[in-house]
Formats: sequence, C-alpha cells, structure tokens
Amino acid sequence: MQILKKTNLKALEKAKKLGSEKIIALVSKKGLTGRAGGGFPTGKKWQMVKETPANEKYVICNADEGEPGTFKDRFILENNPETLIEGIMIACFAVNAKKAYIYLRSEYTSLKPKLQKTINEVLKKAKSKLNMEIFSGAGSYVVGEETAIIASIEGKRGQPNLRPPYPTTQGLFNKPTVINNVETLTNIPQLVLFDDWKDLKLHSLSGCVNKPGVYELPIGIKLKDIIKLAEPKNKVKAIYFGCFGGCLPYEQFKEMEMKQENICKQNCALGSSTMIIVDETKSIVDIATNIAKFYEFESCGRCTPCREGTMRILHFLEEISLGKATKEDFETLQELAWVIKETSFCGLGQSSMNHLLSALQYFKKEFEAKLK
Amino acid sequence: MKINIDGKDFEVDPKKRLLQILKEKGFEIPSLCYQEGISIQSRCRLCIVEIEGKLKASCEILPKEGMKIITNSDKVQTARRVNAELLFAEQSKFCSTEHKEHDLCKIISELGVRDRKFDTKKKYKVDLGAAVVRDDNKCVNCGRCVATCAEIQATYAIDFAFRGNKEHVTPYFEHDLNDVACTKCGQCIAACPVGAISEREHLQEVLQVLKDKKKHVVVQTAPSIRASLGEEFGMPPGSLVTGKMVAALRKCGFDKVFDTDLGADMTIMEESAELLKRIEKGGPFPMITTCCPAWILFMEFFYHDLLKNMSSCKSPHEMLGMLTKTYYAKKAKINPKNIIMVSIMPCTAKKFESTRPELKSGVDYVLTTREAAKLIEHFKIDFKKIADEEFDPTLGVSTGAGAIFGASGGVMEAALRNAYETATGKRVSKLEFDQIRGMDGIKHGSIIIKGKEIKFAVANGLWNARKLLEKAKDYHFIEVMACPGGCIGGGGQPLPVNKDILQKRMNAIYQQDAKMKLRVPLENPVVQQIYKELLGNPLSKKSEELLHTKYTKRSKF
Amino acid sequence: MNLKEVYPDCDKLLPRLIAEQKKNGFISEQAMKKISDETKIPISRIYAATTFYANLFVRKQGNYLIEICNSPSCYLNNSLDVIKELEKLLKIKSGETTKDNKFSLHIGSCIGCCDKAPAMMINKKVYGNLTKEKIKEIIQKCKS
Repeated sequence: MQILKKTNLKALEKAKKLGSEKIIALVSKKGLTGRAGGGFPTGKKWQMVKETPANEKYVICNADEGEPGTFKDRFILENNPETLIEGIMIACFAVNAKKAYIYLRSEYTSLKPKLQKTINEVLKKAKSKLNMEIFSGAGSYVVGEETAIIASIEGKRGQPNLRPPYPTTQGLFNKPTVINNVETLTNIPQLVLFDDWKDLKLHSLSGCVNKPGVYELPIGIKLKDIIKLAEPKNKVKAIYFGCFGGCLPYEQFKEMEMKQENICKQNCALGSSTMIIVDETKSIVDIATNIAKFYEFESCGRCTPCREGTMRILHFLEEISLGKATKEDFETLQELAWVIKETSFCGLGQSSMNHLLSALQYFKKEFEAKLK
Repeated sequence: MKINIDGKDFEVDPKKRLLQILKEKGFEIPSLCYQEGISIQSRCRLCIVEIEGKLKASCEILPKEGMKIITNSDKVQTARRVNAELLFAEQSKFCSTEHKEHDLCKIISELGVRDRKFDTKKKYKVDLGAAVVRDDNKCVNCGRCVATCAEIQATYAIDFAFRGNKEHVTPYFEHDLNDVACTKCGQCIAACPVGAISEREHLQEVLQVLKDKKKHVVVQTAPSIRASLGEEFGMPPGSLVTGKMVAALRKCGFDKVFDTDLGADMTIMEESAELLKRIEKGGPFPMITTCCPAWILFMEFFYHDLLKNMSSCKSPHEMLGMLTKTYYAKKAKINPKNIIMVSIMPCTAKKFESTRPELKSGVDYVLTTREAAKLIEHFKIDFKKIADEEFDPTLGVSTGAGAIFGASGGVMEAALRNAYETATGKRVSKLEFDQIRGMDGIKHGSIIIKGKEIKFAVANGLWNARKLLEKAKDYHFIEVMACPGGCIGGGGQPLPVNKDILQKRMNAIYQQDAKMKLRVPLENPVVQQIYKELLGNPLSKKSEELLHTKYTKRSKF
Repeated sequence: MNLKEVYPDCDKLLPRLIAEQKKNGFISEQAMKKISDETKIPISRIYAATTFYANLFVRKQGNYLIEICNSPSCYLNNSLDVIKELEKLLKIKSGETTKDNKFSLHIGSCIGCCDKAPAMMINKKVYGNLTKEKIKEIIQKCKS
C-alpha cells in the first residue's frame, strides 16, 4: 500500500530545500484534497493560512475519526505514524507554524503512548524544535467539525461555531490555523518524495462481510469492485456511506463509479470513503433506528432542529419498528427530516438526515409495511 | 450594497446581519435567540429565509451584492413552523413571557402551530431564588441568558450543561442560583424571550399587607422608574410619569408615598462626606460606590482585596427604609413595627439586598417596575388618565442630584456636586458633568477640589466594571452600576429594552434634573431637618448606626 | 476575542479534566473548583465543558469502565446480543454502575474498530470480535 511507505524525513529535507512557496504549489499541483469528507484542496488551504499575517499560526491534525464505520486513520496511526508526523512537520514548515496539535479521539487513547514515543523520536532525529502535542478528545462526534475541534482545544464545549471567519484566517486562539485529516497529512511526504505518487484513497469496509478492513483504491472505481474485496456474507442489499453519507441500494448502483459527484447526484455523500455493507437479512428500518440513536446521542445541542429533532426522529422510528406508528406519524417524520436537513446549524446536523432521506427514497416500502 | 428582498431592491449596510436588516426594513421575521450586544447564537432557527433556493438562518448571514432573499415562501413557512413545534413541544401550555417584542403566543399562532405533534418528554426542577426564578421547563435553549451573563456581565453564573436534547441552562453542578456566585442583576430576565427566567414575585404578599388595616403601608419609588413605568401602560419610552405614579400608588391603598430620591440625597450626604474624609486622610483610594446591590455582590464574590475600598453607605432605598422606621415613625407617632415599607425598584438584586441580615433592613418588600405595573393593573387604575399628585412631603422632597441616580454616572455626578459645595462652600461652576453622562460603558474625568485633582471613573455593565478595576489605582472615586445604562436598564424594568429605549429613559432623567430648583442635596430642607433632628452630622455615630454597613467575603463559586 | 488572552490556560482545561477522570473515575465538585482556581476559568464553563463530553463524568464511575459500541457496523454484527449478555452478567443497564462500584456500562458511538465488530473498550483497551462466550470470559477475568 502506498500509504504505508515510509519517507524517513527525506520529504521534509526536500521540502526545506524547495521552500514553502514551492511546497504549497507542489501540493496544489498534485491535486491532493482533504480526506475527512469535505474534499477541500489542501494546497489552497495552506496558501490561505500562509497569506494571513499573524505572529502565531497553528497546525491541527484531525485524528478525531468519529464517523461510524471509519477506521482508516486508526490504521495509519497504528502502521505509519512516522510519515504522518513528517507530514505535520511539512505543513508547519509550509505555513510557518511553531505549534502543532494532534487531536486524538478518546477512543484511540490506547494508541497514545506509541504515538508520543514516535513523535519524540522523529523530532529528535530531525533536530526539530517544533512543539507537537497530542491533544486527547473526551468523547464527542461533533468535535470532528473544524470549528468544534478548535472550541474543544480552547477548553470550551465542543460545539461548532459560525463561519466565516474560517479557521484559515481566525482559527485556534483566533490565529490562522491549518486543520488537516490524518490521511491527508500522511499523503504529504509521500507526494513530495515519490514521483510516482498516485491519488489513492483509503476505504473502510465493514458490516455484513467476511473481510472487513482498510483497502487502498484509486478514486472512481466501480462500486461492485470495491464491495467484492470485502467478501459479503450474503446478497448485498444496501451500502451505507458511514452514517452521514446516506445509503444506496446495491443492485441498482453497483456499476456506478465511486466519485464524489456521482454520489452527490443521488443525494448521498462519499465522505471519507466509508462503506457499511448491509445484506438482505437486515431491515433498513432497524438500521435507520440505530443510526437515529447515534445522532440523538451525538447532537451537540446548539440548534433547535438537531437538538430537538433528532430526538423526535428516533422516537418515530422506534414507534415504526414496533408497529405503533400511524400514517400521519410517518408524514410528520418525513417533514421533520427535511427541516432538520435544511435548517440545522452545522454540516453534521444537516447531514444527520441523509441516511433517513435516502432510505426513504429507496426503501420506503420497508417503512410503510410497518405502519399501523 | 444592494440586495433584493421579496422582489424589491434595498440599499443595505454590508456589515449588518440579514435579520437586523430585515427588521429595520419592516419585515416581520420571527426570532428568539438574536439579541443586540451579544454574540450571534444561531440557535432557534426561526428566522429562516430562502436565499437562492436554500434555507438560511438570517441572523448569521451577511448580505452580498445582488443577493435575492425570499422571506415567506412555503418552504420557509414549513421550516419555521416545524422548528417552532419542536421548541414549544415541551411548553406550549405556558405563554408567560413579559417580553412584548417576542410574544410566544404570537409566534405560535402566526406560524400556524396548532396541535402538539410531539409529546412532552423533559422535566426539570424549578429554581426558586430569592431574587431570580428559573423554570427550565419553559426554556427554549436560545442561549441569550448565558451569553448575557458571560459577555455583558462577566459573572458566568450560568452556562449550558450536557449536550443534545439533554442540554440545559444551569449553574455549575445543577446548584440553585442562590448557592452560586450570581449577582442577581436580572439581566438574564431581560434577555429571556420566553419568560423562563423571571423575578421572584412579591406581589401577592404586598396585596395581602395592603388589606391589613393594622399596618401602615408605605411605598417608595426609585429614581429610575418614573422614567420607565409609563412604558408598561403603552406610553412611549422616555415618558416621565412621576405625578401619575404617585397618584396611582396612593390609589392602590398605600398610606404614604415616599421618594427614594430623598434616600439618594441622604446617600450623597454621607458618601461625599466619606470622600472628603478619605481625601483628608489620603485614602483608601479609589473609593467605590455601593448603591448597586448586584455590584456589591460582584465585589464580594470576586474582588475581596478591594472590599476595603467600598463606601460603607447603604443604598438609597435602604437608607430611606431606615429613616421611615425611625425619623418618620417618631414624627407620625406610629410604632415602627406596624410600618410596612415597600420599595419599587428597577432591580431584582434589591430583593436579595433587603434580606441581608447585616442591614437590619427597613424595607419589607421589594417590587420591580413590572410588578408595580401589575399592582396598578390589579386595582384597575387607568394610569394614562390619572391626575398628577405629589409625594408625601415628610420623606418626599428631593434634589436633582438624587434624581439622576437612575442613570449611569448619576451617583458620581451627584456626589461630586455635593462634595465640592461642602468642601468649598460654593456651587460647582457647571453642575452638569457631561464627561460622565451618556451610554458609554466606561467614562472618566477629573475635578479640582481645594487644589487637589480628584480623578473619577464610571462604569456600567459588569464586564466594563472588570475592565475598569484593572486600572482602579489610577482613580480616586469609582462608580459602578451593574446594568447597562445604570438603573434605567435594570433587570426589573419594562421589557423589551434596547439602546434606543435606554437613551430615551436617560434623557428623561436628566431633563428632570435640569428642571429642578434644588440641584445639590446640601440644599434640601428635608435633608437638613433629618440631620438636625436625628443624625447630627454626616458620618456621625447615629449615621453610622443607621445608614452604613459592611461587606463580607463570599466564595467565588 | 482571543481566548488565550482572557484565559491563558484554556487549552490546559481538557487535559486536566481527562487526567482527573482517569485518576478518580469522575470529576468531583471539589476537583472542579481546584481546576477553576488553577486555570482561572469560571466553574460554570468547566461544568459546561465537562458534561458536554461523553467520556467525562460528574458521577463516580466503576473501576472497569465498559464502553460498548452499538453503531451500524457493530450492530450489523449482532452487538445487541453482546450488550444483552453484558447487562445480564452485570445486572445493570447502560449509564449505570454496579453496586460494588466495579463496573460501569455505557453503550456508545463507534469506537473505530469496525473491522473487529462487535467491539468494546474496557478502560480504553479494545476487545474485538465479541461473542457471548468471550464476554463471559472477559467479565470473569475482571471480577477475579
């Protein structure tokens, strides 16, 4: 796998020779985009931070991988932390930041000692004075959002904040801040050093399969070719792109090329290339209820539709699974889901209904069959 | 910058948020969480509008050139209605807000919220404080109280706790407000759009004593409420209703109507004497005013090392309460035990103040301006039409100095007028201290008294006070009022308030001062009589006993 | 407003809370007051932050803090059976602590171990590919 290739500080050396302008240009030229779901061009983000005048700048490595079904960042943290750390060092060099945080989700606490050791070794070997701190999270999905991660480090409730101002101009402690995902930053040294670097993406496959795991694949291969790798246990019914990406019926879309724009056309999102495979033995209503519970638990509480709405959605879905809901309830549910999607404050609230709206689009009969 | 709203072009200020623009242009947009002067909450999601096919909360959007906005499409209506249904699922039974601007019932009916689609699921305890009552069951998590307490008052008594649908407003560890460092200023009441926070009402108690024939019930009215009470009866902000207020209260059955302005004059007599004494002794400086009970609590919580700088004077209504039960009781030959003193104050913290044991308070009940209006309404008095009457003269003659206590800077100005005249025997050349008038958060100036330059500063709003205290050493005399604008913006005042309304109330107060013949407490014949018959001199032993107090250190938690 | 200027130690708050949680199993009122004294952050803010996070508690937790995942990948691999077994063995429900203060059980969000589903953590140590039998074994080990 390309992502596991070590660069042994040679990329940093090369970056320093090139200088920050050229390094950012190179990242832009190679077309690297954010791997946390947003897909923002990494070079552009760096350029914006570099251009903002400030006495201090920060780099945050977002290792708060909270999306259900996603474990690719853990895979990197376990298997190639050296290259990730080198990537962070290059990012700091490119934007002239003196301090970097690795925001590690609390669920990955067991990885912390090894990661700390690796940081110490790499920094020592590079004779770097960079201040790199592992900042542990404390259990919140929303903190993966970039303004929320800043709030969390600043000791506040991990609730998302208004944008603009964007973190690139007023981020952590109001200073320009680069926030990149683990996979994005690990790609940096590799694309700097290796001429044959390819834009490959890690896919987290799990669910009703025999071979769950992280698979490195080029962008745009067919859905069926991806799913085949994980060896489904039974006939596949649907694919969930994590919780926030929504779902697609497998048979209808198995020939589709997995590109962000194709999936967006179906009102879903590829996000961080998470795929949860659901087979014919499972009920979509049950999965919808399960995911609704997740959003009810993880809603930050800031805005009305997400705070109050996710609770009501869960309630209705439970009623439906129990066969207690009426047709009217079902209509209220659909209206409510639409309002939550349209009027929530942050991206997470807005996407919290993708799973339900797409399930209603493709599997409506399963819901209707359970109504009173 | 030009934008298009519902098909019409408008020239707009690019720095203002869309919601503010829409309101200014006369569009009716429902909103609960937006408040001028605090950070944008973006919580309630009622101010939704449609911009280029997408729904957006107008409170968080900055206009862009050529932006097309639709304020009431079907999509917009549905989104607003559903969010309102979600908010009011828990509390549609209670439409108890006193905020006329955000009438809850109005929002519910206008958005077409008819049935309760969602069951009530949450249950919270009700926090019955001595001054402020919080009922979280009515709360819509708009965040205005939290932001006001933190961003304007720097008190941080409340914050959100837990997350998602368990998120609620609370003091730390779910304590009651009484048990934490809350200054009881009541700004959270003014901020709350749904009446989830309100003052601890004492209206029923007052109605009871009014019925009691054995009791001699006396009322006093604070300097600021004559400039605001009219609003409760539909009069425009800034209407000065002194005469109507006195007449209406007399009609409610109070045996005497006294004027807290006289208490203010007394405070000035004592406080300016204290200032002159400190000037003579060389300190401790700065001397800090203590008319504001929320401010006193703030100091007792957070600034223990400055407690020695606080003036020892009781607040004006406490002084008048004391004088009523001594000076007046003796004069009128009434047993003080049978006198009930009711203070009508712009303030919720005064409710707490009158329960302080060290004051041995002469005040039995404190009503806010809003409660006073309810009292007058209770007796079905036509406030607008009632003919003016005068205060009872025994404790009802006052000066312009007492009158301006209600505005930020007023206490300082009054004290300086009096101190100057006491020290020099002459009226100060210009009575109006313009540098400490107006709505600014921090104001300062200086004056020469007997060849010595006295530097003074004034702050309103406790964040401003915090900032001022950082430079406390630069000054000889500091006045602080906890509420924005001073008492005219108190937590017990008519709602809604905004900068414009505050400015009008303030103007009314200064106009009153300008019209008065007596401008300096020293010249007040009643004040002179009280000293002659009861106290002797300012800071005398008797004064110390009746009119002065001391302060205690309280935990900052 | 630059928070660093108002509260220079604001970025120390979460690490302090996590350390306290690890040391004492919860963040007591007393501990919170101490942290407030040290960081100068108002206590209401600290309580607000503490209660926001799922892994910080204001009530005492058991010596073994069990966080079991019930997000889709685990759910599809029968996590509910495992959860039921746990509830049966410990005689507590999610969010509760056993009377002997040994175990606390929390059904939570994805722990990023979907390739080992169903999975759980005990004091942040991951146990994957759980079955009823495995659960019995693990709990037995903790008990002894």
